[in-house]
This record gives sequence, C-alpha cells and structure tokens, in this order.
Amino acid sequence: MKPFKEWVKQFTFYEILPAMAITLKHLFVRPVTFQYPRERRVLPDTHRGALSLLRYRDGTERCVGCDLCEAACPSRCIKVVSAEVPGKPLVRYATEFYIDMTKCVFCGFCVEACPVNALAMTKLYAYSTENKRDLLFDKAKLYQIGEQYYDDAKAYLVAHNQEKADESAEQYRYKFPTPPRAPQPSHPMTAPPNDQTPA
Amino acid sequence: MAEEQNPTAPPAPAAPTATATPTPAAPPPIYDEAGNELVELTIDGQLIRVPKGTPIYDAITGMGKIIPAMCYHYTFAPFGSCGICLVEVEGKKAPVRSCSSNVAPGMVVRTDTPAIFQARKKGVEKHLSTHPLDCPVCDADGRCELQDMSFAFGVSEVKNVKQKGIPEDRRSLVLDFNMNRCILCAQCINICKDVQQVDALQFHKKDGFTHVVAKGDTALYCEFCGDCLSICPVGAITNKFAKYLYKPWQLVSTATTCGYCADGCEMIVDAKEQEVIRVRSPFSWKSKWGTKEDTLGGHGGICVKGRFGFQHINSAERLMQPLLRHGSGWAPVSWWEATDLVAGRLAEIKAQHGPEAIAGLVSARLTNEELYLFQKFMRTVIGTNQFDGTARYGQSNFTQALQAALGVSRLMNSYEELTLANAILVIGSDLTEANPITALRLKEAMRYYKAKVIVVNPVKTKMAALATHHLAIRPGSEGLFLQGLVRTLLTNNLADPAVEQANPALLETLRSATASWTDEALARATGIEASRFNEIAGLLAAGPRTILLCGEGLLKQPGGYANALTLIEAASLCGALSRPGGGVMALQEENNEQGLIDFGAAPEWLPGPAPITDPTSKLRASALWQAPVPATPGATLTQILERARQGAIKALYIIGENPIETLPSSMRAAEALERVEVLICQEVFMTETAKRAHVILPACTAAEKSGTFTNHEGELRPVARALEPKGESRPDWEIFEEIGMKMAPEFACGSVEELQQEIGRLVPGFPKAPPPRRLEGPPHFAAAHVESVTRRYTQPAVSSLPEHALTLQLIPILYHSGKLSLRADGLTTIYPKGRLAISPQDGERIGAATGAVVRLTAAEGSRPPVNVEVEVQPAVPAGLCLFPEHFNEPPVRELASVSIDKTTGVPYIKRGAVTMQLVTPAPIAPVSANGDGALASAEAAASGETA
Repeated sequence: MKPFKEWVKQFTFYEILPAMAITLKHLFVRPVTFQYPRERRVLPDTHRGALSLLRYRDGTERCVGCDLCEAACPSRCIKVVSAEVPGKPLVRYATEFYIDMTKCVFCGFCVEACPVNALAMTKLYAYSTENKRDLLFDKAKLYQIGEQYYDDAKAYLVAHNQEKADESAEQYRYKFPTPPRAPQPSHPMTAPPNDQTPA
Repeated sequence: MAEEQNPTAPPAPAAPTATATPTPAAPPPIYDEAGNELVELTIDGQLIRVPKGTPIYDAITGMGKIIPAMCYHYTFAPFGSCGICLVEVEGKKAPVRSCSSNVAPGMVVRTDTPAIFQARKKGVEKHLSTHPLDCPVCDADGRCELQDMSFAFGVSEVKNVKQKGIPEDRRSLVLDFNMNRCILCAQCINICKDVQQVDALQFHKKDGFTHVVAKGDTALYCEFCGDCLSICPVGAITNKFAKYLYKPWQLVSTATTCGYCADGCEMIVDAKEQEVIRVRSPFSWKSKWGTKEDTLGGHGGICVKGRFGFQHINSAERLMQPLLRHGSGWAPVSWWEATDLVAGRLAEIKAQHGPEAIAGLVSARLTNEELYLFQKFMRTVIGTNQFDGTARYGQSNFTQALQAALGVSRLMNSYEELTLANAILVIGSDLTEANPITALRLKEAMRYYKAKVIVVNPVKTKMAALATHHLAIRPGSEGLFLQGLVRTLLTNNLADPAVEQANPALLETLRSATASWTDEALARATGIEASRFNEIAGLLAAGPRTILLCGEGLLKQPGGYANALTLIEAASLCGALSRPGGGVMALQEENNEQGLIDFGAAPEWLPGPAPITDPTSKLRASALWQAPVPATPGATLTQILERARQGAIKALYIIGENPIETLPSSMRAAEALERVEVLICQEVFMTETAKRAHVILPACTAAEKSGTFTNHEGELRPVARALEPKGESRPDWEIFEEIGMKMAPEFACGSVEELQQEIGRLVPGFPKAPPPRRLEGPPHFAAAHVESVTRRYTQPAVSSLPEHALTLQLIPILYHSGKLSLRADGLTTIYPKGRLAISPQDGERIGAATGAVVRLTAAEGSRPPVNVEVEVQPAVPAGLCLFPEHFNEPPVRELASVSIDKTTGVPYIKRGAVTMQLVTPAPIAPVSANGDGALASAEAAASGETA
C-alpha cells in the first residue's frame, strides 16, 4: 500500500499543500524586515553616525580650535587649523576643520575629547556619494549636518553623559577676559562669524 | 632676596659625592681638594657631602633625584616663589622650600613622604585656584608645567576658585602677556636680569593683582631674545607670530643651526605641514636641572633673529622654479632645461675664451659642503681661481693677517674659554647687536667669573655700559689705539718674555718704530690718556687668560688688514697667544664666513684651509680631484667686477651674493653685471642682482637642507633639514652637482654624506673641525711681517674732518642680519626702517630731535644728498652718526667713501664723512620706540623748537 500512497502524492504534487500552509500562516505573522527607503528604523540616542559641529543657540560657533579631537583620533582623520579671531583678543576659533569620513572608525573619542561639546555624532548614516572626495567633510559641511541633525546631536551628547539636557548646556564654557581699553582695529578679512565674547 | 644669596661665591660644584663613612658626633670641618668647605648631611637615608652654601634642592638633584619645582632654573639664583619643592627636614615642623634654604651639617632631609606629597599637592592646588582653565585655547597646552603637575599630583577638583579677569597685555611687538595664566614664578624676570642682563621686566601691582610688565608698565621694547617666552612654564607669555596656530602635538621639531650669524646657536624649528610655525631654543623651563658649570656650554638661548626671523622660509616671494630671461620678462623652465643651458653656455665660453672668462661669487650663508663643492666646481670643471665669497667684506682681513704674521690659517678660542677669560678686550664690535649670544658669554664672564671686559668703541654700546672699562676712542682710531697699546706694553715692559725670546727682531723693530711717539700725540689722536693705556695694558698683560676680540668695526673699516696685524701683535705681546685659555678672535656677522675660508671658497685658499701657494696642499687637492689646481692667481670680488666691466669676464655665476645691493653704486657693480654675456644667479629671492640675471636657479634656505656651518669657535655645527624644499627649489650643492656633471661626468658627488667623506680625505678629521685652532708654544712671527712694521707704525696723527662734518658709520644692528632678515616679517615688525642715530649734541646743534628728517651730504665728492629720519641716542658721541647697514632705503650707504685694501682686496664701504642739515623738525610729541631715548629726545625736541 505504501508505494501506492507515495505514488499518488507525487502524482498530485501533494508537497505544495504543507508548504503553502506555512506561507499562508506567515501572512498573519508580524514581519521582521521593513521597507527601507520608505520605512526607517528608530535608532537609539547613543547611535554613532556622521559627525557634526554645533553652535550655541545664539549662532556662535562652539569650536575653539583646541585640536584635542585631532589628538584623540585613533585613525587620524581630523585636521584642525586654528587662529585668533582678528580684533577679538584671546578668542580662538577653527579657521578650517576637516574630517575624512573614509578614515573615520566611529569610535566617538573626538566627541569625548571635545571640551566645549562642539562635536557630536548624529543618526545620519546614509551619506554615500559617487565621489570619494565628498567624504572629506569640511567645516561648512559639518556645521550643515549639525544644523540639520541638531536634536540627534544633542541627544547623543546627553546619552553619552557629555552634557545635561538643561540650560547649563547652553552656557559658554570659557569666560574670555574683556578686551583691552584701546579697541583693536577691525580686520577687513573678518566680519567674524563667531562672536565668542559673552554679551 | 634669594638672588642676593651668593653673588660673589666661586662656582659651587653642586654634584655631591656619596660617601660610606659614618658621621662623627662633632664633625670637624671637611674640605675637598680645592679647599672648599664641605657639609655632610643625610638625604633619604643617604649620607652625602656637598659644598657649604649649597641649596638643599641642588644637593638633591645632584644625587640624581628629581623633585618638582616651577620657579627654579639653574641659570639664576633660586627665587622660591612656587612652593612646590618642599622637603621634610628633621627638627622642622613645617615642610621647607628646598631651593631657598641651604644645607647644614648633620641635616636629615626626606624628599618622598606622604605628608610631603600632600603639601606639594596643596601648593599645586593653590596655583590652580587662580589659574583659568582655558587649556584648550592656550598655546602652552600640552607643554605646560602646571598641567604636568596637576597630572602628577592627581588634582581633579579645586575649591575657592578665583578668576582674575585681566585683559591681555598686547602692547609689545612680539609678545603677548596673559596675566590670568601667570603663576608669578618670576623666571622671566630673573632670566632677563641675571642671564641676559637686560632687565626689561618687572613685577607691578595693578588692579589688585601682580602683573609681569615691561619696566615702567610700558610697551615692552627690549632685545626680544624671547628667553622669557621660553622659560614661562605656563601660557602667560605667548608668541604673537605663532599664536593659536598650533598645538605642540601637531608640530614636527628639528634641531638645526641658526643661519644668521656665526654664533652658531642650536635652534629647534617647529614645522606643521611643511610650514615653519615657530622657532624654539633648547633653553626652556624643561631644561631646568643643571649646575652652574653647565652654563659653560651656553645656556641654550637664541636671539631675536633666530627666534622671530624665520618668516622668509615660508615667504610667497621665494623663487619657486628656474627662470629664463625672455626679453624683459621671465619664462619658467624645467630644471633639466635650465642646467642644460647653464652647462652648455659655460662650456661654450670656456672653449671660446678660456676658463678665465668665467667667474663666480658665493655667499657665506651656504653650508661648508656646498662651499667646498662650489670651489671644486670652479677649480676643476671650469679651471679657474677666479671666484670669491662674502668673507671678502672683512673676515679675509683677519685670516690673511694670521697667515702673514704667524703662518697659521685659523686661530680661535672656544666659547668656554671666553666665559672663563680673565681679561677680554673688545674692539670694533658691538657684540650685543651683531653677535648677541657670544655677548652673553662676556656678560657671564663679568657677572660670575669677575672678568675684566674692556670695550673700545666710540659709542657707549650696551656692552660698554655693562663692561668694567669703556674706552670711548675717537671714531676711526681703532688701529691707532691698538698701536698705542703695543707701544704701552713695550714701554711698560709688560711684553710676554716667551714672545720676546721667540721674536727679538719684531720687538726691536716695534720699539724703534714707536720710540719717537709721545703720549700727548697719542692721546690727541685716539682720545685716550696715557694713564688709561697703562691701566688697560696692565690688565691685559696680567691675564693670565686674555682674549682679544675684534669685529666688523675693525675689519670692515679702512685699514682693516693693518689693524688685524696690529691686533695679533698686541695679542702676542700681552701673552694671549702663548698662554692656555687666551687668544685672539674675529667675530663674523654672516654665519659661515670662516667656513668659506676653511673650505677654500676664496681665491687665496684651498680647503683645509691651506694657502694656495702651498705646494703640498696643492698636490694633495689635485690628487683627490684628479685635476690640476689652476695656476692663475684668481681674483677678488672687486677685481672680478672690474674685469667684468672691462669685458674680460663673459660669464658670472653668482650664488646668494648680491653685489648691487651690498656695494655702493659708485663701485658700479650694476654696470659690470650688465656687461657680462651670461649672468647666472642662484638665489632664494628675486634680488636686484637676480633681476639682471639671464638664468635664475632657485635655491632653498638653510632650513631645507643638511650640512654644517662653522661657528666662531671654529667648530662645525650641524644643519638639519626641517622642511622639504619649497616649490621646485633645490639645495645649492645639488645644483652645483647637476651643472658640474653635465660639464664633466666625474663631478658627481651623490649625497651630502659622500661629500663629507670626500672632504674628510682633504681636511683631516672632517666632519670634526679642521685643525689648528691654537698655537703650539709662543707665536713666531714671519720675517716679512717684521718688515711691514715700519710701514704700518707711523706717527699718530689726528684724522681731520671739515668743520661740522660727522663721521658716518654703517653698523649692523641686533634685529637684522645682512639683507636676508628684511624678508622676515617678524624682524621688520620690530625694526621696520633704518634711522640715523645721532648724538644729542649734534641734534641740538642743528635742532633735530628723534623723528626729524635731516639731509645728509657727503663731505667729499659729488654724491646726491640723502634725506633720512634721525634718532637721537645719548650713547652716540658728538661727531659720529650711525646708520644700519641692512637698509638700502634711504640710500645712506651711497655716502660712504670707498677704498680697497691693497693687500687683501677688501672693499671698505662702511665709513664716510657727511654734513647734516635739518629738513623737517620732529613732530611735537616725539615718538620714541625705545624707552631710554625718550627723555633725551624730548629735551632735544624742546631745544629744537626754540632754535
């Protein structure tokens, strides 16, 4: 009898039925994948994505060009060029700031090293490009990311215990002494974008 | 005060000797071999003996232990302000500051207990409580003693923080003072006062805080040596030129040798991405441990030129690629094309007109290896002796005088001997201006070793003000003064007996030549009384370590060769040349003038140096080069220009030399250069000379090549490559090699190391300094020299000038060196333009104060008058005016009278006679950059208004 049953099963493609049963059962199971470009995963605040530079609420650049991020970077992907804001004694800022994202290993050391919380990581991870040179993020690009993903960056800093989610985060880190009595002649090269002297 | 502790004590050997003997109950005084009383004490259980009066700190560091301190530096006496060097002394309740308390017999000291650690930590916390935590924006970040201390003591939290909130003092031209960061260690003040002896800084109480300010709370205007910047352990003093441009970890440091003067100081070039950010000295707060003896090797500082004059290296005006003249403009060409063209044209001219139609001029700023290769190129590939170097402007006088008188080619003292000398005569040199680090040796000798320093100079220079004796001679009577000194040594029977025995004929001739001289005539001509002559002669002859120093004021002034001969005679007579530790030295303004002669880049010298007339040296050189040494006598600088003017020279190869801007136009250098068919200029910058070239080959600066320089001691100082050559520029030796190889393939030398090996086969001992540096036994004067005595020693005569005429002297100044420094922004910031220094008397006579403009007219000859701004300086005597030789604008140098030495061919272009009329009086409020001239100029201004 057994060979006959086998023969019928083969002849009627019986195997399809249990397989279809599994398939039909999965119609009612919640999917584990999602439709990536249309649907996006919710990332945790600690996520280490693209780096960004941040400003104070009044628009002043936070970065003082101290170069500690460059010193901390294990893959040597950061380059900082600093100078004094002409006409503003003791106010130091980064004239140029580069992060080579092709070299970055997303360790987050630079954020940890930053004494003014100017650097933060965002949840931006999709920045692939056709041109490898575009992955050398310059100062403008980093500030643009910082503006666009400001909340992510702030959440990152809070999640990593770098700053508190309150008003203290907006306070200037350094109190620069008042400039000398004789005002310095203003430099034509700068209408300084970063007035770091507290108002 | 702590620094008055031991000013007169002899150098205390602080290195203690450990002994195993137990202390007796009542210790009898112990003495060392030299008779110094020793003290026995216990430090950390170890029994040691140190000289009486040693600070405990020195005793501890002498054992090899390090205890932290922030205000201590071995170059000056302990100050005791930081409170970190605490130790426990048995019997004392509180910890003791070890730097400012001396050892005592039987003392028991402990340096490493938990209580002491806590006490030191408290000290650090005290400093941090007023120190702003602005490390990220501070230039000292990463190289800060306070940071190191905080780490070492684990200070993480500081209570009672008080911020000063003082605005930064930015009045100085090169330094910024941020008094918020100052920890009041006073090292800047002490180094300035004790080592530099400039005393430009002071503490000043202002707004409730103590500040470090320039004397009198003014804008700092000093010698700008920058030692205060180096020694500042925190970021309180910062460098304006490097401010905020770097962090220490971004910099690549290279130790090399300064290329400005022949002091040959070691300096550290800090570069970031092929750009020089700053220059440091080996001296810093990190070099604090040492004993007084260590300063015999120099304290490691550099001067304003080395520290702030580096901007020319990164200058955008640098020549970046070979240029070929194209009508009135220039066309950039490849190196291959350029050297092909040069080699081809030189070979063509050599074939057509013979080797004597080609000449070369070389600068003494090249390295020894390059100078050697250049002379080899000229002598073997071209086959002529017709080339000269910038040693011709003065140093040749001295070396040729040595050769003529004593038959030696080089003779110099070490810096250590200079520090330890008993009596030093400085003639014709303004040391603090031209050779500031050598001047520190004299300051050290005076301050610490109580040497007698005699400055012979019409001007009361800074060195003269510090010196024990200043002889203000009449301008231009340096030679006569030396002859008077020789006469006094002879008449007072002070001549060294050994010299008298060895040279009876010379002394006899000298005696008879000066027999008819009278003291009165000599006093009239030199302005120095006979009693002063006696005093000075006595000091120099007493010695025993006597050194005679001369400089550009003797060798570059008319009669320089004769004066050098007289100086050597004077040095021999007072025993300087026959006793150890004594000698005679010539100080050079350009960094490698001695090297230029040592390695044969002058027509009369072969490498060694050996005179070209010496057959053995000639044979040795030609054997090594496998080419004969040319038999023609060659030509000096002025002869080369003369021959070029006549058309005898068809091709001229100029390396780093700039005759048009150096020589006055009356010598018609421009005419000569325009006459030659091929003018090849190997230059760093587009100079006036280079503008007339047919081919320009871009060379690189000393920071971009390796090799050696020869310093005043005659030692070779290493030059290391700190940067890649800028643009397409190349080291000079590579250019010589390429051109040479294209003309004669066997000329290849490979590398600097191979070149050094080759030189080593010709100059014994290279790359150690070539011998000899001193004489064996008493000096023996040549017979020909004795004959020259009667020609040189003529009756003292007063050099007369027309009424109201002034002697004009072109002098080197501290802030510049040659023409190179004018391309360094740091130095032009400090000293932007040349001003004529005149005496208050002359200023009053014509009514000119500082800032006034006067018209200078040459007393003789018809040269166009020159308008120049004056600066009244009390140091200048009446009848003399001084102008920095570095500045061609206004063209004061054109007023100097020109003469050429008959023996050595040295052009004397630094002195003239001028008359002066007021054109524009000074502005009402005289602006004086210099603090000390302010009063005099204010007086002069007042008198100027009434006149």
